[in-house]
Amino acid sequence: MAQALLIVWRESVEALLVIGLLYAWLQRLPVRHRPQGERALWLGALAGAGLALLLASLMLLAGNWLSGPAGEWFQVAMAALASALVLQMVIWMAGNNATPQRRSAPSHPAAVALLAGLAVAREGSEIALFLYGAAASSGSTGLLTGALTGLLCGVLSFVILQRGSRLLNWRRFFQLSTLLLTLLGGAMLMSAVDRASTLLMGLELPAAAYDWLGNAMWDSSALLDDSTRAGALFASLTGYRAHPALPGLLLLTSYWLLAWWGCHARRVRYAGQLSV
Amino acid sequence: MNLAGALPLSAALAALLLSLFANAAQAGGLPTVELEIRDGAFDPAIIQVTAGQRFKINLHNRGNGPVEFESLPLRVEKVLGPGVSSFVVIHPLRPGRYSFFDEFHLAMPEGVIEVR
Repeated sequence: MAQALLIVWRESVEALLVIGLLYAWLQRLPVRHRPQGERALWLGALAGAGLALLLASLMLLAGNWLSGPAGEWFQVAMAALASALVLQMVIWMAGNNATPQRRSAPSHPAAVALLAGLAVAREGSEIALFLYGAAASSGSTGLLTGALTGLLCGVLSFVILQRGSRLLNWRRFFQLSTLLLTLLGGAMLMSAVDRASTLLMGLELPAAAYDWLGNAMWDSSALLDDSTRAGALFASLTGYRAHPALPGLLLLTSYWLLAWWGCHARRVRYAGQLSV
Repeated sequence: MNLAGALPLSAALAALLLSLFANAAQAGGLPTVELEIRDGAFDPAIIQVTAGQRFKINLHNRGNGPVEFESLPLRVEKVLGPGVSSFVVIHPLRPGRYSFFDEFHLAMPEGVIEVR
């Protein structure tokens, strides 16, 4: 039961953070801009749940496809696309860091929907598979209790996030949600990089490529070990690696620089518009 | 219940084509370890490999439900439906012990890759 609770809660945290942050953000927009964004968010989450079920069924019925290289590349693409959408969202938000009257509706509601959908589908398919497997193998009452408690923990996290966000003033809320979303986006990018480098590792490449893909640049496991459960949770939410290899390191640094530069450029542009 | 046994013919054909593709991309004599997973139990539970060499683990899910082969230190995770086989290739490792487990059966004991 404890196991079901842990898995459902841990897997759902990422999706709940993405959806929770976007939702809290939409709540701070002027009333007339909210419905469109909210509709996109919930439709996206719903479609994501559907995709999660579809992926889980595919994994059971045609597992050789989804567990093979093609399926792995598909998951790399999902994670990479999600991280790109987070980046786009963070930069869009930076333009809204103005007076409340100036805050606009999301310029691309489809991007909100797609991001919510990808966040749910990525982790949701694993929850569905786990529950299917556990239900098939063991007594299902304890399991069901565990899964429901896990879901409850997830919903509770969502509510706390909403309440907490209201306690902050606009500036603090803006800074915190930008930071959290960029961290999450970076973590999604790193999970895509990990998967992709495992796939590339299986191909016939020059020997130097394997060193480049696999050799750790440093070892910070004494400081924070990502091979413990708590460390792994931290790593999966922030993109932290105790033994980072060069490709991941370069990509994560570029991601953060791009986020910083994009936000900066957008703020400058909006400040210019305000003074006109 | 073994759903993989009821694979439709088309899916089987697609799987065959993909495995051919995978084999073509997988040419060359990579040291290979066979690992069977049965509802969270690993056989063998200890894998010994040489340091500084890339190696391949062929994963076979022989259990009744799905499993998730996961190693936190190696940063690999792979979900396998019942009856499904797949593989992961691990980058050259330094000597040491690297644990792995089945994320869907956390109560079961972990397995270990021993690198010398």
